[in-house]
Amino acid sequence: MPTGFKAVKISQAERMMNLLALLVDRAKPLTLRQVRQELGKQYPDSDEAARAAFERDKAALREMGIPIETKTLGGDAAGEVTYWVNRSNYELSDLRLTDEERAALQLAVATVHLGAQHGEEALWKLGGERILGKASMSVNIGLVDQNMGTITDAVMKRKTLNFDYKGEKRQVDPYGMLSRNGFWYIIGFDHLRRDKRVFRVDRIEGSVVAGEARAFKTPVDFDVAAAVPTEKQMLAAGDGEVTMAVVLVDASLAPGVRREFGESSVIRDRDDGSVEFSIPCANLDGFRLWLFAMVESAEVLEPQSVRDQVVQWLENLAAGK
Amino acid sequence: MAAKKRMAKKTVAKKTVAKKSVTKKSVTKKQTTKPAKKSAANSTRSAQSTRPARRGPRSAAQRVSGLLVMLPWIMQRQRVKISTMARQFNLSEAELVEDLQMAAVCGVPPYTPDALIDVYMDDGMVIAEVPLVFSRPLKLSTAELFAVSVMAQTAMQLPGANKKGPLASALAKLSPLMPAGAETIKVQLPKTRYVKELLVAVETGERQEIEYFSPASLKRTTRTVTPRKVFEDSGRWYVAADDHLSGEDRVFRVDRIEKIAGVQIFDQLREVRDDELPWFSESLQQVTLRVRKQARWIVESYPYVSRVDNKDGSVDLTMSITSKHWLGRLLLRAGNGVKVVKPAEHKPLASQTAQSVLARYQTTAS
Repeated sequence: MPTGFKAVKISQAERMMNLLALLVDRAKPLTLRQVRQELGKQYPDSDEAARAAFERDKAALREMGIPIETKTLGGDAAGEVTYWVNRSNYELSDLRLTDEERAALQLAVATVHLGAQHGEEALWKLGGERILGKASMSVNIGLVDQNMGTITDAVMKRKTLNFDYKGEKRQVDPYGMLSRNGFWYIIGFDHLRRDKRVFRVDRIEGSVVAGEARAFKTPVDFDVAAAVPTEKQMLAAGDGEVTMAVVLVDASLAPGVRREFGESSVIRDRDDGSVEFSIPCANLDGFRLWLFAMVESAEVLEPQSVRDQVVQWLENLAAGK
Repeated sequence: MAAKKRMAKKTVAKKTVAKKSVTKKSVTKKQTTKPAKKSAANSTRSAQSTRPARRGPRSAAQRVSGLLVMLPWIMQRQRVKISTMARQFNLSEAELVEDLQMAAVCGVPPYTPDALIDVYMDDGMVIAEVPLVFSRPLKLSTAELFAVSVMAQTAMQLPGANKKGPLASALAKLSPLMPAGAETIKVQLPKTRYVKELLVAVETGERQEIEYFSPASLKRTTRTVTPRKVFEDSGRWYVAADDHLSGEDRVFRVDRIEKIAGVQIFDQLREVRDDELPWFSESLQQVTLRVRKQARWIVESYPYVSRVDNKDGSVDLTMSITSKHWLGRLLLRAGNGVKVVKPAEHKPLASQTAQSVLARYQTTAS
């Protein structure tokens, strides 16, 4: 140590700080030999131990996103490696956010909860503060799946994903992601099916592995919200021969159905407040789930074939089948 | 050096800032003991705790990455109270002081006082005046950019958001940093009426008369409530309110409010923390269901107390139910994909529910 100031044994955290400070401060690439000269006794005396400690520090710094760059030298110093940090790859440029803009970001971060700390970290880097008071509103967009970090990174950087889904190995170019009704969906090109498919993140089996960045291009006309079917579209997306059914819904539940399927689905308002709706039923399994959620407050009137099917389901269940 | 590094005089932390012990991963719907509404409480609560409870000492990497965020932050502000800064970064005062003391002896060769990071603590304040290294923040990581983009576009959909306001212009300034793929990440919030009205009521304290429909009992009630907090969870809006009908704090689903009107009575404002949200007061019964593969959606859709995976691929799920009607509905929807294991009294419930619906078809035979 040049000053004798740090003669005591120093911690790995301190050494990492000093290593990074050195690499950021010295604009030119340094070899490990030069790093050790500069940092003095902070690295162990033996070459082997010093190399191991240096590698550990470098890996830990890279892990936290610090771009330590390397180059292997030729000529006289052939085989020696130099290390440096390019400030423009490391430091955030000044975005010139106004106080008002920073406050708006702070409010957004305080209101929208991701279940992960990235929002607060971003805020601090942008010079903002976490609002510590209580908000009158909160929204929960769960990012809690173990694979979420890998997936979001892959979508942002256009990396192909590999994962197991419904018992099959899938290779998917993730065109986009959608959060709807408490679930995250990936929409992408499925290499197995050779077609566009929708995957629910929480249904992925095991872990996700991502490939190289910029592995694919997203189609220009890709619309992420339109790619994930709504409940109404889901009920219509089936191969049943009958595509629409007339369903009578009691006054208690009719307002909810009217909101969900829209005014255009209303056939007739009855005097007692019940309403006849025209509802898609091509996806009969989906239709059943939707219909029976209303238990005895709804009834299929037409067509007879669908009504018969409903009665058949009920009779089977009533008989304990 | 002595003059400049007046460190550590007041640095013995007297108290530890209470840290919430909820972990990040507890948002799953699997650890709750009450139905859907309770899952909302758990997830909003854990989401607010921004750092998981730590076990054991912090690693060198954790301390360094924390400092790389904190140092530029304090250098921009120059003076901040130790207690305020510790709270801001979810550290105990002792941890913060320990980290800043370490930073103060770091720097660049030759490690003379002017080549050390200029941060010190004095009279309960953290002071950082002369920037040396680490004065500019690190670039945002992909995960951080993703978080900002998701949070901002979500906030933009909230009632009262200004699409041309400061949030939009902040996002525009951030957009050059966003990777190309950020454009196709979207959040859709449920569009539910009355959210805006309820939010105004939270801010003014005005009591509201609501007509509320409870499908579990098929009952519609008119009650007066004082809304305290509006929140969204798993695709639904809820309002936590003082319920003047029951005299309790209750949570209501906003999509089940059929009418709402202010009654011109103003209560004192009261803020409700996410972890204080009140839930059902009804007594709950536990049931165990055997769920076969075709009814797996039950496992994914409802919170449960415990699950056992059977060899044949079925799952035994123990969950709490709010009413017999609710369970009957679940059994009807799931059909032969699910059977009641216990209690015995509910074993015939699927058949009974099917019979009662069937009665409707038989009386109106067309």
